[in-house]
Amino acid sequence: MPIVKPKRSAPTTDMTAMCDMAFMLLSFFIMTAQFRQNEAAAIETPTSISGIKVPDTDIMTISLDKNGQVFFGIDNQEHRRAMLENIGEVYGISFSDREKKSFGLLPNFGMPVNQLKSYLALRPEQQKQIKQPGIPVDSTANLQTNQLAQWVFNARKANSKLRIAVKGDNLAKFPSFKNVLSSLQSQNINKFNLITGTEAPPAGWTND
Amino acid sequence: MANIDTGGGGGKHKGGGKVRGKKMSTRVDMTPMVDLGFLLITFFILATTLNKPSSMTLNVPDKTEKVETEPIKASKVMTLFLGQNNEVHYIAGKAANEDPKLETVRYGQQLRQAILDARAKIGADFVVVIKPTPKSTYRNMVDILDEMAITKSKRYALVDQLTPDEEKLIADKLK
Repeated sequence: MPIVKPKRSAPTTDMTAMCDMAFMLLSFFIMTAQFRQNEAAAIETPTSISGIKVPDTDIMTISLDKNGQVFFGIDNQEHRRAMLENIGEVYGISFSDREKKSFGLLPNFGMPVNQLKSYLALRPEQQKQIKQPGIPVDSTANLQTNQLAQWVFNARKANSKLRIAVKGDNLAKFPSFKNVLSSLQSQNINKFNLITGTEAPPAGWTND
Repeated sequence: MANIDTGGGGGKHKGGGKVRGKKMSTRVDMTPMVDLGFLLITFFILATTLNKPSSMTLNVPDKTEKVETEPIKASKVMTLFLGQNNEVHYIAGKAANEDPKLETVRYGQQLRQAILDARAKIGADFVVVIKPTPKSTYRNMVDILDEMAITKSKRYALVDQLTPDEEKLIADKLK
């Protein structure tokens, strides 16, 4: 009597279900994706229990990195260009269309106005390699030493609905934040948002 | 590999019948498709910012309008000095020139307890004055403001100038 051998088959799996799931997840992630902007400085924000979300539109972000350098950006490309034109009028610099276009693509920047023109003339890859020194800021009304105030003013001129968000690094020293604060206060801006990460409130805490 | 061969290949021809075309399997090998799917998923997971940042509102008093307010009694005030190395020094219920006891706490639970204790001692009209020193960081300030929200201290002020008495008091903590 011959030995009955079990019929051997290749170890196969039905991949249909797996494939369905993979593509469902894929479509979910594509729809919810919000791409990380190419920021001029890496900033690690502190966390807070505040659950208010940062709005996506009509927002200007003042970033403060750990060395106390200040970066500035607004959300809409049209408004960025309008802001640059306004700034050009204030400082008596005229920007070419190409420079305006290049400026429109910057989510945020930290160049003093007098170096901005040469920075915008560079190609995007070259721009990335340059270490931006930050926007000069203090509490005075001086055009040169408090350029942040001019940027804020002209950004609001370009878009009056802009809200202000301050994004500071964990390690930024308080005096540099104070400079930003007094620059804003000197224009009578007394309400703004601090961007923070989210952390869970302590157990038993309720918002009222 | 992943396709199952369900046979269907025409093997034998039954006695003199019609020669039928060889039936092909309709199974498709899905492996590359799944591979691609997961590759794209990985990309989108890595490229998205999942946790959206939240924001806390900060209102500062108007500098241009001068409203004369009644000075707050030192006995109602807890003053927090944000020092270096993530330490908070505080005095409660006494002004800086009345030889108060300067306590030092860390951020987090210790600080929260200190605020709650001071409030229990001082009572309902308790005011917190936050004085960040030049040695403190932005994070310290956010932590303190957060602590105000957690302990529900509604009356607080952010003051960035130290009086000479206060400077003397915390001078040795800031070295």
